Amino acid sequence: MSLGVVSQYSIVHARARAFSSTLLGPEVWERLYAAKDYAAVIGILRGTLYGAHLAPVEEAALSPRRAVYQLKGRLAQVFSAIIRLAPRHAQPLLAQLYRQFEVDNLKAALRGLMIGDSWDHVRYFLFPLGKDTLLPIEALVRAGSMAAAVDLLRKTSYYPTLAHAMERYTAEQSLFPLEVALDLDYWRQLWRGINQLKGRDRDWALRLAGRLIDMSNLMWALRYRVYHKLSAEEIIDYTLPFGYRLADEDVRAIAAGADMAAIVAHVYPGIARVGSYFDQPEQGLAQLEVRLQQDLAQECRAAFIGYPFHIGIPLAYLLLGQMEIHDLTVLIEAKAMQIPVESFQQHLVIGRPLP
Amino acid sequence: MFYPQEMTRISIIARQDTAVAVTHALAEAGALHLVDARHLGSEIKADLAADWVQKSATYAELERHALALMQTLGVSDSMPQTDGWTSVVDSAAANATLEQIEREARAITERVAGETRKLEQLQSYVQQLTPIREIDIEVSRLSSPRHLFSALGAMPVENVARMRTSLARVPFVLLTLRQDQQQAVVWLLGRRADSDILERAARGAYLNPLSLPEAYQGTPGQILHAVEAEMATVRQRVAAEKAALEDLRRLRQDQLQALLWHVRASHLLADAIAHFGSLRYTYLVVGWVPTARLSQLQARLKGLSSEIVVKTTPVKRSEAGADVPVGLQNPGFLVGFQQLLSNYGWPRYQELDPTAVIGLTFPVLYGAMFGDVGHGLLLALAGLLLASRKVRALAGFAGLGMTIVFCGLAATLFGFLYGSFFGFEGVLPALLFHPLSNIMQILLLAVGGGVVVLVAGFLISIVNAYVDRDWGRLLVGNNGLAGLLLYLSLLGLAAAVALPHFPIPGAWLGILALLSALGVMLSEPLSHAIQGSRHPAPDSVVTAGVEGFFEVFEMLISLLSNSLSYVRVGAFAVAHGGLSAVILILATTASASHGLPYWLVVALGNLVIVGFEGLVVGIQTLRLHYYEFFSKFFTGGGTRYAPLTTPHKANAVEQV
Repeated sequence: MSLGVVSQYSIVHARARAFSSTLLGPEVWERLYAAKDYAAVIGILRGTLYGAHLAPVEEAALSPRRAVYQLKGRLAQVFSAIIRLAPRHAQPLLAQLYRQFEVDNLKAALRGLMIGDSWDHVRYFLFPLGKDTLLPIEALVRAGSMAAAVDLLRKTSYYPTLAHAMERYTAEQSLFPLEVALDLDYWRQLWRGINQLKGRDRDWALRLAGRLIDMSNLMWALRYRVYHKLSAEEIIDYTLPFGYRLADEDVRAIAAGADMAAIVAHVYPGIARVGSYFDQPEQGLAQLEVRLQQDLAQECRAAFIGYPFHIGIPLAYLLLGQMEIHDLTVLIEAKAMQIPVESFQQHLVIGRPLP
Repeated sequence: MFYPQEMTRISIIARQDTAVAVTHALAEAGALHLVDARHLGSEIKADLAADWVQKSATYAELERHALALMQTLGVSDSMPQTDGWTSVVDSAAANATLEQIEREARAITERVAGETRKLEQLQSYVQQLTPIREIDIEVSRLSSPRHLFSALGAMPVENVARMRTSLARVPFVLLTLRQDQQQAVVWLLGRRADSDILERAARGAYLNPLSLPEAYQGTPGQILHAVEAEMATVRQRVAAEKAALEDLRRLRQDQLQALLWHVRASHLLADAIAHFGSLRYTYLVVGWVPTARLSQLQARLKGLSSEIVVKTTPVKRSEAGADVPVGLQNPGFLVGFQQLLSNYGWPRYQELDPTAVIGLTFPVLYGAMFGDVGHGLLLALAGLLLASRKVRALAGFAGLGMTIVFCGLAATLFGFLYGSFFGFEGVLPALLFHPLSNIMQILLLAVGGGVVVLVAGFLISIVNAYVDRDWGRLLVGNNGLAGLLLYLSLLGLAAAVALPHFPIPGAWLGILALLSALGVMLSEPLSHAIQGSRHPAPDSVVTAGVEGFFEVFEMLISLLSNSLSYVRVGAFAVAHGGLSAVILILATTASASHGLPYWLVVALGNLVIVGFEGLVVGIQTLRLHYYEFFSKFFTGGGTRYAPLTTPHKANAVEQV
């Protein structure tokens, strides 16, 4: 055990553990499930650590979308704090994980631009990155044309990717090539970030961020085949050749038309009754994705047990924080639309009440 | 200097149509700390505040718009020469102006962007054609051979391997003709029968095929020649458009800057008015003004209209609530010490401002730990340099410059007392003694100094309690009279044990210690008995007694640790001497004859001492103040006095 590593990780470890104790517990989820409507959900959340983020917005202005936006503010705050406290060598990977929200914001802005949405409509769909991003998101939404928007990104790392993909956008008038290009670039950089680490840090980064890449890559391959009906060549082109447990051969097999359930069962032996997700794959894929996220959540919780001075703990907490926001988003939207608990609870990853 | 500025509560009632003029006058005066009064008169449902909240949002949007436009044109947001604005900006007219300028700018920037894209496209042709420039076959024939599928084009480097993988089921040839960090120029060839597969794979891998405009015909070499000529023309057009943009910038710069700052001033006024209370025909401004500036503000308001009603309420320090803003009034050279204080907390209105006290204790403690004439003078010079703002990169720390100067001078003074000059102890005579040779003396002296500082802390606490008219805290509080007597009697007892001829008998001191400990122990019920209105009654005397017992116990430990904490002052003085001695030993090892290596090691070593140890001693001094000294008397939690002001005044202050 190196004392250097212990001292580097001691602060971020303590902070991540402290943060993780603030994740909503089963009793809060119990109350959230039981809340009679959206207003009651907000009332409960005001009594949690999210309360401080909801407080600045007046009750009347707190639409479900705005509420989710405010809740995300806490995650942004936590990401900034964890990255700042992490050892220097661990910061690039954590920052890259955080950049996922910037990529999502960029995609949302381009979508808003394409359908001619107003800034006021788009802004609360975004992740509140505040000063953690230099992207001129508002200017992108107002850019007038996709070419002008891409021009605005000239000084950012997104420009080469988007400028090259613009030729396809121009020909197809679809955001699909732009979004896929951005995603592929993002995940490649995340993989690079994992591989720049060494020893125990790399092991944990693979176990957590590597699993995240697996999940994303597998779901792409399945969706491209099931929903988009793409050719084998396109599926391979639009997926990644690396991962933690998902091998390139698995992706190629899915692309080539092999039995999807068998491949998923092979990659995730711990998941029971995989076949049921593929009985009606159009509906089953969403369920499978939640199941894979639960698998990742379990791995995140495991990171908190045992030797603590590695990147696994901050990484695990940040991923769990994202999952909590995902679940709160589902719950808030469901409650706002008065969808019964039975219909939405299957979409929640970690937000479960007491058994 | 020892107390925050005296404040007077002010209420102003004026007709609704004078809102802008009055707010402008208040901002110009720069004296009013505004209090949110929106709740006052809200039952009348007069919508003054709501209206101005809306206007404030409009001005914020206009400001963003103007800044974005100025960024496009490369106009700085520096403030134009002005005496300020007496009215708010007409938002519709301002918006129209901005849109007009934006249209003018957009027409040019879009042309620049178009030409730049064209240039990039031509550059891409050059990149793709250069590797095959020697081939003497027409490009159209290369791109569409009769029996083969052919795709010549550029693609992201990272996709090349993936495309190879995706084409595993058909025969193909993929030539990488050129490659840089991001892009590869490739030539994909395969059977015409597999065109569909090859095309999908190429598209999926973002292979952008070379598609030359009709005008470019011929061999790669001929086309390259034509493309390069076209690039020269496009570059000229880009330069011309950029010159046009520069002309527009020059033409509109003053107008945009004036508009931006007028919008900012309006935003500030709107924000302030949004905090006023609304009555049916009038509005109500509530706030705090330094008493010394009250008459000046009243005169300004009277000059504006005779119909303005001003009501003032002086507030006694002892009766002031937590809402009274606190404006400290320290001379410029103490600003650095005030910064150190504000990092810990902001004094309350009733509280003594300890800036001047730490202006004395901080340099003294620092100097005692870092006593060396040479090091001190070097530090003082560094402080002067910092304060002069000559080093741009450190301009943000200029406020601390004078603090460092004082610390440096104190270190110089102690350097004379310790007889130390850049670590050499034989150059100057020690007016007191050399710490390294008198370790016990310096440690005892340090604790003695600490006792003096702590007693000063108790005295300040007693003064604060007196000003606050909190008799319970004054008489029997931990840091009140009883606490001080307990501390002094315990010190006396220790002295009586150590010194056989101590003038005060130990028994008296013991009785005094017991009585004062009893006072502290029962401080809760006693305070309630003395001043029930300020101190709630304890649940029961027994509970209060038990709590009090543990409180006294904790207090004794804390007094002991507080006092012993000051040992570090002596320890650092010794360490400073020790470190200097080590440097000299190292220097002698480097050159016994005191040649150049000797002096190099001495110089480098002294730099390390000034930089590294100077910083460590600074942190220790800060720690002694924050944890040992301030905890005796400083509560903090006051509200900063933040007067309403105009942007041009705020800007002027920022410049200073």
